Amino acid sequence: MAKVTIKVNGTNQTRAVEDRTLLVNFLRDELGLTGTHVGCDTSQCGCCTVHVNGRAVKSCTLLAAQANGAEVLTIEGMAKKGKLHPIQQAFSECHGLQCGFCTPGMIMATAGLLKDNANPTEEQIYKGLEGNLCRCTGYINIVKAVKRSAKLLRGKAR
Amino acid sequence: MSAKAHKHHDPVGRVEDARLTTGAGTYAADWNLPGQLYAHFLRSDRAHAEIVSVDTAAALKSPGVRAVFTGADAVRAGHVKPMHTLNFPGKGGMQTRAPERPALAHGKTRFVGEALAMVVADSLSAAQDAAELVQVEYRDLPPVISPEEALAPDAPRLHDRVPGNLALEAEVGDAAAVDTAFARAAHVTQLKVEVTRVAPNPMEPRAYVASYDARGDSYTLHVCCQGITTLRRHLSAYTGVPEEKLHFEVRDVGGGFGQRTPAYPEHCTLMLAAKTTGKPVKWVSTRSEGIACDTHGRANIINGALALDESGKFLAMRLDWVNDMGSYLSPASMGHIRNTSTCMTGVYRIPALYATYRVALTSTAPVSSYRGAGRPDIAYVVERLVSQAAAEVKMDAAELRRRNLIPPGAFPYKTPTGSTYENADLPGLLEKALRLADWKGYPKRRAQSVKQGRLRGIGIATVIENTGAGQAAKDEVEIEVDATGKVTVYTMSKSQGHGHETTFATIVANALGLPLERVTLRQCAPEKQHRLQGNHTGGSRSTVGAGSVCHLAAHKLIEHGRALAALALAVEPSQVEFARGEFHTRESKRKVRLGDLAKSGPVSVVAEAKFGSTFPNGCHIAEVEVDPDTGAASIASYCAVDDIGTVINHAVVEGQLHGGVAMGAGQIFGEKVIYDRDTGQLVTGSFMDYFMPRAGLLPAIRGAEHPTPSRVSPLGVKGVGESGCTGSLPALGNAVMDALRPLGIEHLDMPLTPAKVWHAIQDAKNKK
Repeated sequence: MAKVTIKVNGTNQTRAVEDRTLLVNFLRDELGLTGTHVGCDTSQCGCCTVHVNGRAVKSCTLLAAQANGAEVLTIEGMAKKGKLHPIQQAFSECHGLQCGFCTPGMIMATAGLLKDNANPTEEQIYKGLEGNLCRCTGYINIVKAVKRSAKLLRGKAR
Repeated sequence: MSAKAHKHHDPVGRVEDARLTTGAGTYAADWNLPGQLYAHFLRSDRAHAEIVSVDTAAALKSPGVRAVFTGADAVRAGHVKPMHTLNFPGKGGMQTRAPERPALAHGKTRFVGEALAMVVADSLSAAQDAAELVQVEYRDLPPVISPEEALAPDAPRLHDRVPGNLALEAEVGDAAAVDTAFARAAHVTQLKVEVTRVAPNPMEPRAYVASYDARGDSYTLHVCCQGITTLRRHLSAYTGVPEEKLHFEVRDVGGGFGQRTPAYPEHCTLMLAAKTTGKPVKWVSTRSEGIACDTHGRANIINGALALDESGKFLAMRLDWVNDMGSYLSPASMGHIRNTSTCMTGVYRIPALYATYRVALTSTAPVSSYRGAGRPDIAYVVERLVSQAAAEVKMDAAELRRRNLIPPGAFPYKTPTGSTYENADLPGLLEKALRLADWKGYPKRRAQSVKQGRLRGIGIATVIENTGAGQAAKDEVEIEVDATGKVTVYTMSKSQGHGHETTFATIVANALGLPLERVTLRQCAPEKQHRLQGNHTGGSRSTVGAGSVCHLAAHKLIEHGRALAALALAVEPSQVEFARGEFHTRESKRKVRLGDLAKSGPVSVVAEAKFGSTFPNGCHIAEVEVDPDTGAASIASYCAVDDIGTVINHAVVEGQLHGGVAMGAGQIFGEKVIYDRDTGQLVTGSFMDYFMPRAGLLPAIRGAEHPTPSRVSPLGVKGVGESGCTGSLPALGNAVMDALRPLGIEHLDMPLTPAKVWHAIQDAKNKK
């Protein structure tokens, strides 16, 4: 067992967990933050993407113990005071989600991508999202949503 | 009702989005019940073997383990005979030979990934650890992977009760008429194609929590599914538990595509575990488990021939199908076969048709419906034949289609296989698509590509498909109004991402003249499960069926309310008018709001209807570029003109098309479930190996609507969920073949991977 303290969405959370516990299971099973999803077992799908110390990370790729002392932001921490984050708003406006299962990971990956590049081209968006799979949308509206997010975050949207 | 009658809510997003963009959705794996146990399945690593013994002693002693179940337990519980739906008569009255399938394999295992044992423990890790201690002794038998080899006389027999591994042989059409037509044909085009086996892979892996109530001898299952009515019927048949003893909880579902329709062995086994342990038992599939044991799609091999006269008119078509159904018949496999004959003529006048089907069993995962369920398969073979014929007789592919389209005046059009296409404007559709895609300007674009050292191809597909009909006796919808005027709509259909909460609420809000936010849709609500009938969501049927009944129910509510309002207003019902959620009369200034009717308790009505098929149709035109140095193909442009009748929500409909086209692109360019031919091992067993479409595969779609209203649905709507797949498989396949044909390459089967295309280009060069 490992005693782990992780600051999740601004609040310190301490739990004793099995050594093999992945960060994604810590979030889902220990904290009940079920917005972070598990879509595969080989770190391909990106449904579990969260931010660890400000970087977009697939939370199935590290142990909870490795995240000890880290700051983690999940999809549940994106909207503030009942107001959607601009990326959440953009995904809805552009119909960039259908079943919604990949959406939390897509939104967190988009937030990571836009941190590195505030105004990405389509090619840069394809590259930035190559670690995130969606089966419903065909990605066209997801790419639109990323562009719209970039505009909203740069304060240039109408 | 005209399209204009619907207010469009497109720009504000869907009702579902606030929940799903914030992580507040509830998918099946998100459910947890107090005191729940965790299940883990031990799965076969052999494709075909006798199970000599399963030793669970060590596993049972492992810490935290409550129970271990094996095939013997499944047989004892009677979970051996899943229902099948291949219940139409075969050739010469042949009945389907349906193999038994114990929910945990017993005696024999027949594909890699088949569940052999289930460990139930206090934690998932305890169950996983203990499963490694289960000892299985196998005696290997030869597997058979290819369905054609499975039907060969010397093939290993997989089931005692299925001689020759032939589950069913069927035929449709008129063999003699086709023979006569072929004998006088000026030209015959022949093509053998494979529509490959693919993994549907909805992003949400399967997950269930089963619990047992000893007092009522009943079960509650928390599930991901496409609607509880079909699942309940399948599960009742498989377990012998009466339908009224089966209850379900289903909230958000992370994609379905047909794969979430049937009852699976895991449902049954979890029910057995819940009853045995007296505790809720939870199971969450991994992706790799899902690729191995969830149903696959397509898996058809078709040998086709098309006969033409001197002017290019089609005379007859002959198709010989081999349908690979995997090791067992999935309960939801009927449409997969039947839909291929429903629209066998495609959009053309083809006077004579004949098709044969041989349904084969193989040492692979069962095959069932997958987005389109046979519709993309038939469209692919017909459209490939037509474009191949055009190339052979040196006619423009659009012109050959133009000469053979069913004219608008011929609708309703009865096809030689007995379907009735209700309404379409196929020539108008074709010309609109040709303009949108700038068909005439193609040679210029091709020259441009050639200048840059690339091959370019254009592919067209003009398709039609049956949507809307379902197997339920009827679709029922209940609408309830409470005293605050809040309207709740209950359906048995179930969105898996389709946005029913938006679309259906829009239908009701528009009928009642209310703002959208006043109307809430509840799908498969537990308290209505045994009161309302209806179809599950699949076969592009829900807006046609449940959606239309939402409209009827809203109008029924108005009529019901009119009578009540007349009493309150002290006038005749004929003097009561309804608008914007209020009843009023010219006799006085008094008004009765919908909510007023519910002052002494909620008011509700139930409407019902049963609809036949609607026939959406479309013309898709794709252009691809192929890099001859690498064999990599990319989509240069994609145009889609679709007749899906009246549209309720354009954004949702466009989204369905995007998703369907991308799935078709995935199948054409990379997706394929591959089993090793000798050992039956699954080679594409995870997302490491199985190709999934990613952002950029399909950069954009130029789309247009060309609606002719449905005569079947009172809303005028036609189904749209599967149109994208049906159009894109042939359009993209034809485009790549068009790019390669000048090199002397006549045919390649999907997936058209860079390696396959590169090798074909090298072979063609070496021949010259």
